[in-house]
Amino acid sequence: MSELAPLDDNERAELVAYLDGEVNEKTARNLEARLNRDPAARAEAETLRKAWELLDYLPRPEPSANFTSRTVERISALRPAQAAGSRWRWWAGISGWAAALLLCGVAGYAAVNRFYPREPNCDDMARDLRVVENLHAYEAADDIEFLHLLDHPDEFGEDSLGS
Amino acid sequence: MAAIGETSAQLALRDPDVRLMIGVRDDDPSAFEELVEAYQQRLVGVMHHLIGNAEEAEDLAQEVFLRVYRARKKYRARCKFSTWLFTIANNLALNALRRRQRKPVVPLNVRDSGPLGPRPAEQLVRDRAAQPVQHVQQRELAVIVQHALAGLNERQRMAVVLNKFEDMSYEEIAEVMQLSTKAVKSLLSRARTNLRDVLAPYIYMDGQVPPAPTDDE
Repeated sequence: MSELAPLDDNERAELVAYLDGEVNEKTARNLEARLNRDPAARAEAETLRKAWELLDYLPRPEPSANFTSRTVERISALRPAQAAGSRWRWWAGISGWAAALLLCGVAGYAAVNRFYPREPNCDDMARDLRVVENLHAYEAADDIEFLHLLDHPDEFGEDSLGS
Repeated sequence: MAAIGETSAQLALRDPDVRLMIGVRDDDPSAFEELVEAYQQRLVGVMHHLIGNAEEAEDLAQEVFLRVYRARKKYRARCKFSTWLFTIANNLALNALRRRQRKPVVPLNVRDSGPLGPRPAEQLVRDRAAQPVQHVQQRELAVIVQHALAGLNERQRMAVVLNKFEDMSYEEIAEVMQLSTKAVKSLLSRARTNLRDVLAPYIYMDGQVPPAPTDDE
Protein backbone atom coordinates (compact mmCIF):
# COMPACT_ATOMS: atom_id res chain seq x y z
CA MET A 1 0.00 0.00 0.00
CA SER A 2 1.30 3.40 -0.86
CA GLU A 3 1.80 5.50 2.23
CA LEU A 4 2.46 8.59 0.19
CA ALA A 5 -0.07 10.93 -1.38
CA PRO A 6 -0.33 10.76 -5.17
CA LEU A 7 1.85 13.17 -7.08
CA ASP A 8 0.36 16.62 -7.42
CA ASP A 9 0.79 18.76 -10.56
CA ASN A 10 4.02 20.37 -9.38
CA GLU A 11 5.54 17.04 -8.39
CA ARG A 12 4.50 15.51 -11.69
CA ALA A 13 6.09 18.43 -13.55
CA GLU A 14 9.31 17.82 -11.60
CA LEU A 15 9.09 14.13 -12.44
CA VAL A 16 8.68 14.86 -16.17
CA ALA A 17 11.60 17.30 -16.01
CA TYR A 18 13.62 14.61 -14.24
CA LEU A 19 12.82 12.15 -17.04
CA ASP A 20 14.00 14.82 -19.50
CA GLY A 21 17.21 15.43 -17.58
CA GLU A 22 16.20 18.98 -16.78
CA VAL A 23 16.50 19.06 -12.98
CA ASN A 24 19.47 19.93 -10.83
CA GLU A 25 21.34 17.37 -8.79
CA LYS A 26 19.54 18.04 -5.53
CA THR A 27 16.10 17.73 -7.11
CA ALA A 28 17.18 14.58 -8.91
CA ARG A 29 18.31 12.97 -5.67
CA ASN A 30 15.06 13.88 -3.91
CA LEU A 31 13.04 12.42 -6.76
CA GLU A 32 15.06 9.25 -6.85
CA ALA A 33 14.54 8.81 -3.13
CA ARG A 34 10.80 9.26 -3.64
CA LEU A 35 10.73 6.79 -6.51
CA ASN A 36 12.62 4.25 -4.44
CA ARG A 37 10.08 4.27 -1.64
CA ASP A 38 6.83 5.00 -3.56
CA PRO A 39 5.63 2.30 -5.97
CA ALA A 40 2.81 4.51 -7.30
CA ALA A 41 5.27 7.26 -8.21
CA ARG A 42 7.49 4.64 -9.79
CA ALA A 43 4.57 3.30 -11.84
CA GLU A 44 3.67 6.82 -12.93
CA ALA A 45 7.22 7.52 -14.03
CA GLU A 46 7.25 4.27 -15.98
CA THR A 47 3.98 4.97 -17.81
CA LEU A 48 5.09 8.49 -18.65
CA ARG A 49 8.33 7.16 -20.04
CA LYS A 50 6.67 4.40 -22.07
CA ALA A 51 4.05 6.73 -23.55
CA TRP A 52 6.86 9.06 -24.60
CA GLU A 53 8.60 6.19 -26.35
CA LEU A 54 5.45 5.45 -28.35
CA LEU A 55 6.07 8.70 -30.21
CA ASP A 56 8.86 6.81 -31.96
CA TYR A 57 6.13 5.05 -33.93
CA LEU A 58 5.22 8.29 -35.64
CA PRO A 59 6.12 8.31 -39.31
CA ARG A 60 9.12 10.38 -40.39
CA PRO A 61 8.17 11.79 -43.75
CA GLU A 62 10.96 12.53 -46.16
CA PRO A 63 10.83 15.78 -48.10
CA SER A 64 10.24 15.37 -51.82
CA ALA A 65 13.32 14.79 -53.96
CA ASN A 66 13.18 18.23 -55.58
CA PHE A 67 12.48 20.19 -52.40
CA THR A 68 15.85 21.95 -52.39
CA SER A 69 15.78 22.84 -56.09
CA ARG A 70 12.20 24.15 -55.83
CA THR A 71 13.11 26.27 -52.83
CA VAL A 72 16.20 27.70 -54.52
CA GLU A 73 14.12 28.47 -57.62
CA ARG A 74 11.69 30.48 -55.54
CA ILE A 75 14.61 32.48 -54.17
CA SER A 76 15.80 33.21 -57.70
CA ALA A 77 12.33 34.52 -58.53
CA LEU A 78 12.62 36.87 -55.54
CA ARG A 79 15.95 38.33 -56.62
CA PRO A 80 14.91 40.68 -59.51
CA ALA A 81 12.02 42.09 -57.44
CA GLN A 82 14.37 42.59 -54.54
CA ALA A 83 16.89 44.36 -56.83
CA ALA A 84 14.17 46.67 -58.20
CA GLY A 85 13.02 47.30 -54.70
CA SER A 86 16.55 48.20 -53.70
CA ARG A 87 16.81 50.75 -56.58
CA TRP A 88 13.49 52.26 -55.64
CA ARG A 89 14.64 52.55 -52.06
CA TRP A 90 17.87 54.24 -53.23
CA TRP A 91 15.97 56.87 -55.19
CA ALA A 92 13.52 57.36 -52.34
CA GLY A 93 16.46 57.95 -50.03
CA ILE A 94 18.04 60.54 -52.33
CA SER A 95 14.71 62.33 -52.77
CA GLY A 96 14.15 62.34 -49.05
CA TRP A 97 17.52 63.97 -48.46
CA ALA A 98 16.89 66.57 -51.17
CA ALA A 99 13.50 67.43 -49.70
CA ALA A 100 15.02 67.74 -46.24
CA LEU A 101 17.72 70.11 -47.55
CA LEU A 102 15.15 72.24 -49.35
CA LEU A 103 13.03 72.45 -46.23
CA CYS A 104 16.06 73.49 -44.20
CA GLY A 105 16.84 76.18 -46.76
CA VAL A 106 13.35 77.62 -46.67
CA ALA A 107 13.21 77.52 -42.88
CA GLY A 108 16.59 79.19 -42.66
CA TYR A 109 15.57 81.97 -45.07
CA ALA A 110 12.39 82.62 -43.08
CA ALA A 111 14.30 82.65 -39.79
CA VAL A 112 16.90 85.11 -41.10
CA ASN A 113 14.21 87.46 -42.38
CA ARG A 114 12.36 87.25 -39.10
CA PHE A 115 15.27 87.96 -36.79
CA TYR A 116 17.52 89.96 -39.13
CA PRO A 117 15.21 91.97 -41.43
CA ARG A 118 16.98 93.59 -44.36
CA GLU A 119 17.63 97.31 -44.50
CA PRO A 120 15.19 99.15 -46.80
CA ASN A 121 16.60 99.93 -50.24
CA CYS A 122 16.16 103.10 -52.33
CA ASP A 123 12.92 102.00 -53.94
CA ASP A 124 11.42 101.24 -50.56
CA MET A 125 12.44 104.61 -49.26
CA ALA A 126 11.08 106.43 -52.32
CA ARG A 127 7.74 104.70 -51.92
CA ASP A 128 7.56 105.61 -48.25
CA LEU A 129 8.71 109.25 -48.72
CA ARG A 130 5.20 110.65 -49.19
CA VAL A 131 4.08 108.93 -46.02
CA VAL A 132 6.99 110.36 -44.11
CA GLU A 133 6.40 113.92 -45.42
CA ASN A 134 2.72 113.85 -44.40
CA LEU A 135 3.12 111.89 -41.23
CA HIS A 136 1.98 114.85 -39.07
CA ALA A 137 -1.36 114.84 -40.90
CA TYR A 138 -1.79 111.12 -40.73
CA GLU A 139 -1.23 111.10 -37.02
CA ALA A 140 -3.98 113.68 -36.47
CA ALA A 141 -6.52 112.01 -38.76
CA ASP A 142 -8.67 109.05 -37.75
CA ASP A 143 -8.85 107.42 -41.13
CA ILE A 144 -7.70 107.65 -44.73
CA GLU A 145 -11.10 108.76 -46.05
CA PHE A 146 -10.99 111.86 -43.89
CA LEU A 147 -7.54 112.64 -45.24
CA HIS A 148 -8.84 112.36 -48.79
CA LEU A 149 -11.56 114.85 -47.93
CA LEU A 150 -8.98 117.28 -46.60
CA ASP A 151 -7.13 117.00 -49.86
CA HIS A 152 -10.08 118.32 -51.90
CA PRO A 153 -9.05 121.60 -53.59
CA ASP A 154 -12.68 122.76 -54.01
CA GLU A 155 -13.07 122.65 -50.28
CA PHE A 156 -9.74 123.86 -49.06
CA GLY A 157 -8.07 125.43 -52.08
CA GLU A 158 -4.34 125.62 -52.00
CA ASP A 159 -4.30 124.70 -48.35
CA SER A 160 -5.50 121.23 -49.08
CA LEU A 161 -3.44 118.45 -47.67
CA GLY A 162 -1.90 117.65 -51.01
CA SER A 163 -0.31 121.09 -51.36
CA MET B 1 20.30 33.18 -26.44
CA ALA B 2 23.96 34.09 -26.59
CA ALA B 3 25.78 33.59 -23.32
CA ILE B 4 27.06 36.69 -21.61
CA GLY B 5 30.11 37.93 -23.48
CA GLU B 6 29.52 35.57 -26.40
CA THR B 7 29.91 37.41 -29.62
CA SER B 8 28.55 36.62 -33.03
CA ALA B 9 32.06 35.60 -34.00
CA GLN B 10 32.24 33.08 -31.18
CA LEU B 11 28.83 31.70 -32.10
CA ALA B 12 29.94 31.43 -35.72
CA LEU B 13 32.99 29.49 -34.61
CA ARG B 14 30.93 26.99 -32.62
CA ASP B 15 27.89 26.74 -34.88
CA PRO B 16 28.65 25.93 -38.53
CA ASP B 17 25.09 26.84 -39.47
CA VAL B 18 25.67 30.38 -38.20
CA ARG B 19 28.62 30.57 -40.58
CA LEU B 20 26.41 29.36 -43.40
CA MET B 21 23.74 31.90 -42.56
CA ILE B 22 26.30 34.68 -42.58
CA GLY B 23 27.17 33.43 -46.06
CA VAL B 24 23.50 33.70 -47.05
CA ARG B 25 23.45 37.23 -45.64
CA ASP B 26 26.45 38.06 -47.80
CA ASP B 27 24.67 36.60 -50.87
CA ASP B 28 26.89 33.54 -51.20
CA PRO B 29 24.78 31.47 -53.66
CA SER B 30 25.80 28.06 -52.37
CA ALA B 31 25.29 28.86 -48.67
CA PHE B 32 21.51 29.01 -48.89
CA GLU B 33 21.29 25.75 -50.77
CA GLU B 34 23.48 24.08 -48.15
CA LEU B 35 21.23 25.32 -45.36
CA VAL B 36 18.13 23.99 -47.12
CA GLU B 37 19.80 20.62 -47.59
CA ALA B 38 20.86 20.54 -43.94
CA TYR B 39 17.48 21.37 -42.44
CA GLN B 40 14.81 20.28 -44.91
CA GLN B 41 14.19 16.87 -43.39
CA ARG B 42 13.98 18.18 -39.85
CA LEU B 43 11.72 21.06 -40.81
CA VAL B 44 9.39 18.96 -42.95
CA GLY B 45 9.26 16.36 -40.15
CA VAL B 46 8.41 18.92 -37.47
CA MET B 47 5.76 20.56 -39.65
CA HIS B 48 4.25 17.19 -40.46
CA HIS B 49 3.93 16.28 -36.79
CA LEU B 50 2.30 19.63 -36.11
CA ILE B 51 0.03 19.94 -39.12
CA GLY B 52 -0.58 16.31 -40.01
CA ASN B 53 -0.62 16.89 -43.76
CA ALA B 54 2.50 16.04 -45.79
CA GLU B 55 1.87 18.51 -48.62
CA GLU B 56 1.07 21.39 -46.32
CA ALA B 57 4.09 20.48 -44.19
CA GLU B 58 6.37 20.86 -47.21
CA ASP B 59 4.77 24.17 -48.18
CA LEU B 60 5.25 25.51 -44.68
CA ALA B 61 8.82 24.25 -44.50
CA GLN B 62 9.56 26.00 -47.77
CA GLU B 63 7.95 29.18 -46.47
CA VAL B 64 10.28 29.02 -43.45
CA PHE B 65 13.29 29.00 -45.77
CA LEU B 66 11.89 31.86 -47.81
CA ARG B 67 11.45 33.94 -44.68
CA VAL B 68 15.00 33.13 -43.68
CA TYR B 69 16.19 34.36 -47.07
CA ARG B 70 14.10 37.55 -46.98
CA ALA B 71 15.40 38.37 -43.50
CA ARG B 72 19.03 37.57 -44.35
CA LYS B 73 20.29 41.18 -44.44
CA LYS B 74 19.05 41.77 -40.91
CA TYR B 75 20.46 38.52 -39.55
CA ARG B 76 22.61 38.83 -36.46
CA ALA B 77 23.94 35.72 -34.74
CA ARG B 78 22.50 36.12 -31.26
CA CYS B 79 21.62 32.46 -30.76
CA LYS B 80 22.02 29.07 -32.39
CA PHE B 81 20.84 29.13 -35.97
CA SER B 82 18.45 26.24 -35.34
CA THR B 83 16.79 28.19 -32.52
CA TRP B 84 16.14 31.10 -34.86
CA LEU B 85 14.95 28.79 -37.64
CA PHE B 86 12.50 26.95 -35.42
CA THR B 87 11.22 30.20 -33.96
CA ILE B 88 10.15 31.14 -37.49
CA ALA B 89 8.75 27.62 -37.96
CA ASN B 90 6.81 27.89 -34.69
CA ASN B 91 5.17 31.16 -35.74
CA LEU B 92 4.25 29.84 -39.18
CA ALA B 93 2.89 26.57 -37.82
CA LEU B 94 0.75 28.28 -35.17
CA ASN B 95 -0.65 30.67 -37.79
CA ALA B 96 -1.47 27.74 -40.07
CA LEU B 97 -3.18 25.84 -37.24
CA ARG B 98 -5.24 28.88 -36.28
CA ARG B 99 -6.28 29.43 -39.90
CA ARG B 100 -7.29 25.78 -39.99
CA GLN B 101 -9.48 26.26 -36.91
CA ARG B 102 -11.37 28.90 -38.82
CA LYS B 103 -11.55 26.65 -41.92
CA PRO B 104 -11.42 23.06 -40.66
CA VAL B 105 -9.75 20.46 -42.87
CA VAL B 106 -9.01 16.80 -42.22
CA PRO B 107 -5.94 17.05 -39.97
CA LEU B 108 -4.31 13.68 -40.60
CA ASN B 109 -3.35 11.59 -43.58
CA VAL B 110 -4.81 8.39 -42.19
CA ARG B 111 -3.02 5.65 -44.06
CA ASP B 112 -4.49 2.33 -44.95
CA SER B 113 -3.60 0.08 -42.03
CA GLY B 114 -4.04 -3.19 -43.84
CA PRO B 115 -7.07 -5.47 -44.03
CA LEU B 116 -8.95 -3.55 -41.37
CA GLY B 117 -8.58 -0.26 -43.20
CA PRO B 118 -8.05 3.10 -41.45
CA ARG B 119 -9.72 3.14 -38.08
CA PRO B 120 -10.07 6.08 -35.72
CA ALA B 121 -8.45 5.77 -32.34
CA GLU B 122 -11.79 5.69 -30.53
CA GLN B 123 -12.87 2.60 -32.45
CA LEU B 124 -9.60 0.94 -31.61
CA VAL B 125 -10.06 1.68 -27.92
CA ARG B 126 -13.56 0.13 -27.96
CA ASP B 127 -12.17 -2.94 -29.65
CA ARG B 128 -9.49 -3.34 -27.04
CA ALA B 129 -11.41 -6.00 -25.19
CA ALA B 130 -11.90 -8.03 -28.36
CA GLN B 131 -8.40 -7.51 -29.77
CA PRO B 132 -5.40 -7.81 -27.46
CA VAL B 133 -3.21 -4.73 -27.70
CA GLN B 134 -0.15 -6.86 -28.33
CA HIS B 135 -1.59 -7.64 -31.78
CA VAL B 136 -2.08 -4.06 -32.86
CA GLN B 137 -0.10 -3.62 -36.03
CA GLN B 138 2.69 -1.11 -36.09
CA ARG B 139 1.01 1.08 -38.68
CA GLU B 140 -2.19 1.09 -36.74
CA LEU B 141 -0.25 2.16 -33.69
CA ALA B 142 1.27 5.00 -35.70
CA VAL B 143 -2.26 6.21 -36.45
CA ILE B 144 -3.19 5.94 -32.80
CA VAL B 145 -0.15 7.92 -31.72
CA GLN B 146 -0.84 10.53 -34.43
CA HIS B 147 -4.36 10.95 -33.10
CA ALA B 148 -3.04 11.22 -29.55
CA LEU B 149 -0.60 13.94 -30.62
CA ALA B 150 -3.31 15.74 -32.59
CA GLY B 151 -5.43 15.72 -29.43
CA LEU B 152 -2.98 18.04 -27.68
CA ASN B 153 -3.44 21.77 -28.00
CA GLU B 154 -1.12 23.68 -30.37
CA ARG B 155 1.40 24.76 -27.78
CA GLN B 156 1.59 21.38 -26.08
CA ARG B 157 2.10 19.75 -29.45
CA MET B 158 4.85 22.17 -30.43
CA ALA B 159 6.66 21.66 -27.12
CA VAL B 160 6.43 17.87 -27.47
CA VAL B 161 7.69 17.89 -31.06
CA LEU B 162 10.61 20.19 -30.29
CA ASN B 163 11.58 18.20 -27.21
CA LYS B 164 11.14 14.75 -28.70
CA PHE B 165 12.26 15.19 -32.31
CA GLU B 166 14.59 18.18 -32.13
CA ASP B 167 16.03 17.18 -28.78
CA MET B 168 15.72 20.77 -27.59
CA SER B 169 16.25 21.66 -23.97
CA TYR B 170 13.55 23.45 -21.99
CA GLU B 171 15.53 26.65 -22.32
CA GLU B 172 15.76 26.34 -26.10
CA ILE B 173 12.07 25.50 -26.38
CA ALA B 174 11.31 28.54 -24.23
CA GLU B 175 13.28 30.72 -26.62
CA VAL B 176 11.60 29.28 -29.72
CA MET B 177 8.12 29.53 -28.25
CA GLN B 178 8.79 32.84 -26.47
CA LEU B 179 7.79 31.45 -23.10
CA SER B 180 9.51 31.13 -19.75
CA THR B 181 11.33 27.88 -18.92
CA LYS B 182 8.82 27.34 -16.12
CA ALA B 183 5.95 27.62 -18.60
CA VAL B 184 7.61 25.06 -20.88
CA LYS B 185 8.03 22.68 -17.95
CA SER B 186 4.35 22.96 -17.12
CA LEU B 187 3.36 22.62 -20.78
CA LEU B 188 5.39 19.44 -21.25
CA SER B 189 4.13 17.94 -18.02
CA ARG B 190 0.50 18.41 -19.06
CA ALA B 191 1.23 17.24 -22.59
CA ARG B 192 2.95 14.07 -21.47
CA THR B 193 0.24 13.32 -18.93
CA ASN B 194 -2.41 13.73 -21.64
CA LEU B 195 -0.46 11.49 -24.00
CA ARG B 196 -0.01 8.89 -21.31
CA ASP B 197 -3.74 8.88 -20.53
CA VAL B 198 -4.72 8.40 -24.20
CA LEU B 199 -2.01 5.85 -24.96
CA ALA B 200 -2.33 3.90 -21.71
CA PRO B 201 -3.90 0.82 -23.41
CA TYR B 202 -0.91 0.52 -25.76
CA ILE B 203 1.98 1.22 -23.44
CA TYR B 204 2.85 -2.39 -22.71
CA MET B 205 2.24 -3.79 -26.16
CA ASP B 206 5.93 -4.65 -26.40
CA GLY B 207 5.36 -7.48 -23.93
CA GLN B 208 7.06 -5.84 -20.99
CA VAL B 209 5.36 -6.68 -17.72
CA PRO B 210 3.53 -3.62 -16.38
CA PRO B 211 4.23 -2.59 -12.78
CA ALA B 212 1.97 -4.13 -10.16
CA PRO B 213 -1.15 -2.07 -9.53
CA THR B 214 -1.36 -0.22 -6.24
CA ASP B 215 -4.31 -0.39 -3.84
CA ASP B 216 -5.49 2.93 -5.28
CA GLU B 217 -6.29 1.35 -8.66
